[in-house]
Amino acid sequence: MKHESVETNAGLLIILTLAVISVGGLVEIVPLFYIDDTIEEVDGVRPYTPLEQRGRDIYVREGCYTCHSQMVRPFRDEMLRYGHYSLAAESQYDHPFQWGSKRTGPDLARVGGKYSNEWQVQHLIDPQSLVPESIMPGYPWLATTPLDYSDIDRRMVALKRVGVPYSLTDEEYQANVEKFGEEHARMFDIRDAEDNLVAQAQAENFDGNPGTITEMDALVAYLQVLGTMVDFSEYDDGHFAEFR
Amino acid sequence: MMGLWEWITDMGNSKIVALLLFMGTFIGVVIFLFSNRRRAQKFETYRYIPLDDDDSHREPVARRDKTKSDEQ
Amino acid sequence: MSQAATTAGAAPAASVATSEQYNYAIIKRFAVAAVLWGVFGMAAGVWIASQLAFPFLNFDIAQITFGRFRPVHTTAVIFGFGGNALFATSYYVVQRTCQARLWSDSMASFTFYGWNLALILGVITYMMGITQGREYAEFNWQIDLIILVVWVAYFMVYLMTLLRRNQPHIYVANWFFMAFILATALLHIFNNIQVPVGLFHPHSYSIFSGVQDAMTQWWYGHNAVGFFLTAAFLGMMYYFVPKQAGRPIYSYKLSIIHFWALVFLYMWVGAHHLHWTALPDWVSTLAATFSILLLLPSWGGMINGIMTLSGAWDKLRTDPIMLFLITALAFYGMSTFEGPMMSLKSVNALSHYTDWTVGHVHSGALGWVAMISFGSLYHLIPRLWNVNLYSLKLVYVHFFLATIGIVLYITAMWVAGIGQGLMLRAFDQYGNLAYTFTESVVFLHKPYVVRAIGGGFFLAGMLIMAFNIAMTVRSGIKAEAREAQAASAEARTA
Repeated sequence: MKHESVETNAGLLIILTLAVISVGGLVEIVPLFYIDDTIEEVDGVRPYTPLEQRGRDIYVREGCYTCHSQMVRPFRDEMLRYGHYSLAAESQYDHPFQWGSKRTGPDLARVGGKYSNEWQVQHLIDPQSLVPESIMPGYPWLATTPLDYSDIDRRMVALKRVGVPYSLTDEEYQANVEKFGEEHARMFDIRDAEDNLVAQAQAENFDGNPGTITEMDALVAYLQVLGTMVDFSEYDDGHFAEFR
Repeated sequence: MMGLWEWITDMGNSKIVALLLFMGTFIGVVIFLFSNRRRAQKFETYRYIPLDDDDSHREPVARRDKTKSDEQ
Repeated sequence: MSQAATTAGAAPAASVATSEQYNYAIIKRFAVAAVLWGVFGMAAGVWIASQLAFPFLNFDIAQITFGRFRPVHTTAVIFGFGGNALFATSYYVVQRTCQARLWSDSMASFTFYGWNLALILGVITYMMGITQGREYAEFNWQIDLIILVVWVAYFMVYLMTLLRRNQPHIYVANWFFMAFILATALLHIFNNIQVPVGLFHPHSYSIFSGVQDAMTQWWYGHNAVGFFLTAAFLGMMYYFVPKQAGRPIYSYKLSIIHFWALVFLYMWVGAHHLHWTALPDWVSTLAATFSILLLLPSWGGMINGIMTLSGAWDKLRTDPIMLFLITALAFYGMSTFEGPMMSLKSVNALSHYTDWTVGHVHSGALGWVAMISFGSLYHLIPRLWNVNLYSLKLVYVHFFLATIGIVLYITAMWVAGIGQGLMLRAFDQYGNLAYTFTESVVFLHKPYVVRAIGGGFFLAGMLIMAFNIAMTVRSGIKAEAREAQAASAEARTA
């Protein structure tokens, strides 16, 4: 083939360029979907409850990912500071992923359970009141805005379409019982989504205000579950190294 | 096909495959460009395309008169 | 060429012929929009930089907190300033090098309104908290669809114009623009596959999750840099540098090698944003390897551009526009050296998650992308309105403000990034962490202030440019009005 025909033929130029730019993406991305060890087999990782998922939506909405990562790397300092390095499995139900690219604030992949609900609420309302040197903005409106959960079932249906195992039928529910246990499986049933959300918010009362379910309830519920699903004491040191 | 694909995407192989692919294409393009003197010269005439169009613009700077005489 | 230029009386007639021969109206709109978005986007950047230095500036107002406003900044500068500048210059270059009028005035005009509508909607929706949470692809799914339609129209206009050219060879600048259009389409589509919550619901969920989603996003994210912010601006470079210098590009053969090597290599490197994460090792090692290789075509292109001036270096003394173009290439060389270095896994372990990355992006974005755009727009706009630039002195002032701004910015970010990286990995004699995270935040305050000041310098330069361009355009419009009568008469007889 002559290069002349390339340089004088717009169509050929387009096809060749497309071919050349496709190679890299194909070779790197496609295998991730079928190579078995991309995502480790690990117990405990489960989809988010309706309340946690709404909290995650708020996390995305406020652009938390612009300053906080959710990906602990396998270094000694990060292990001491944040905990065990993150596994691919731990974000397998994250649509979209929120690994982030910048740590203006600390990593949040394992922030769940590190601080009390009260601390989280106060810190979100006015970060400098707890950490004077902090440069984080305050989010006081979260505590006063009632959570809109009218579309929670539609959101869960959309998530189900992209692969999160929420259940719509008894069959799917039974499968979830086997996989995640009955208590969790009930939370993942779209038919009871609204009731489940309200029940969790009232039972755990994340924002210290039992009267209304606020966006703060949802966000703190999400923060408190981050990184807590896998019990790393069950695995030997170096167990996960083979997947890297 | 699937076997070949998996062989390529194995890290040990794909590095080499990618390197060969890249080197091959690169050397191909270089040989193409420099092997034939007539072709090479023809390519260099394309450099003048941006300067060929009739630019009716009044030169923005008087000082550039000097540079203009360079071109001619 | 010199005839028309020297005989003042012939100028109006020539300008009529040009605006008949080429569609300049659409380029004018895009060029002005680029300047406006530049002012807005850079002001937004200075604002969020100040928020990091002085957090009270968030004022507890949801719409302007850092998290919601950062996408406003990135979108306004990348797609607003950069995008409009690319539309303007690509429409100009394709017409001039093909010696053919742009295909379909209405389609071209549609790309203008569609593109800017999408951007304005984007800015508003981000502030309302509607986002996909994907960096540089935060537009929600409905806006994504608008962008897709606009992009197909852009592709059509570009392709059809290429097809009706009066010049057998397609000049290399058009190759770069074409690769940019194709790659951006590919990236935009695959990175935005979402399942909406409802037809009229603004929210949607990414079809991918976790590690696959991360890989797709950074394949997009880095190639947005590679094709939107590099290949396309190289197209700009391959036209405007020779044109402004009045001499042909150094080597056409080198430009062909540059093109194929660059488009092939770039698509592999995205995963270097995910070193040491849960992404399988083989992908990130592959990406690092290709990142190193990428240095070669990048520097080839830089040398090709800079050597165009070989033998005429004195132009740098007399022509501030040339100064912008050549400095842009120098920064391009610098950041394409820094980039491969940061993609090494050992360097990345330190630099990732820190402000070093932010500094690197800006040495490319301010030094290369903005500088080459400034130079090109200063070259382009007087020609579009067929007048002289209002003030060449102000171009000098702009150049020095911009350069000081960049230097302050990059240096502050090196200090911040490397400093924080070292602090976070430091251990005391007992093997405990030497610093808390908060202590590293305290350390960052001074560099953040310097960075905001550097950004302020750059913005000041941009404002001066906006003034200079406004005055130039105003004199152009006045001249047009004066010549309108004669021009329309001429057009009717022609």
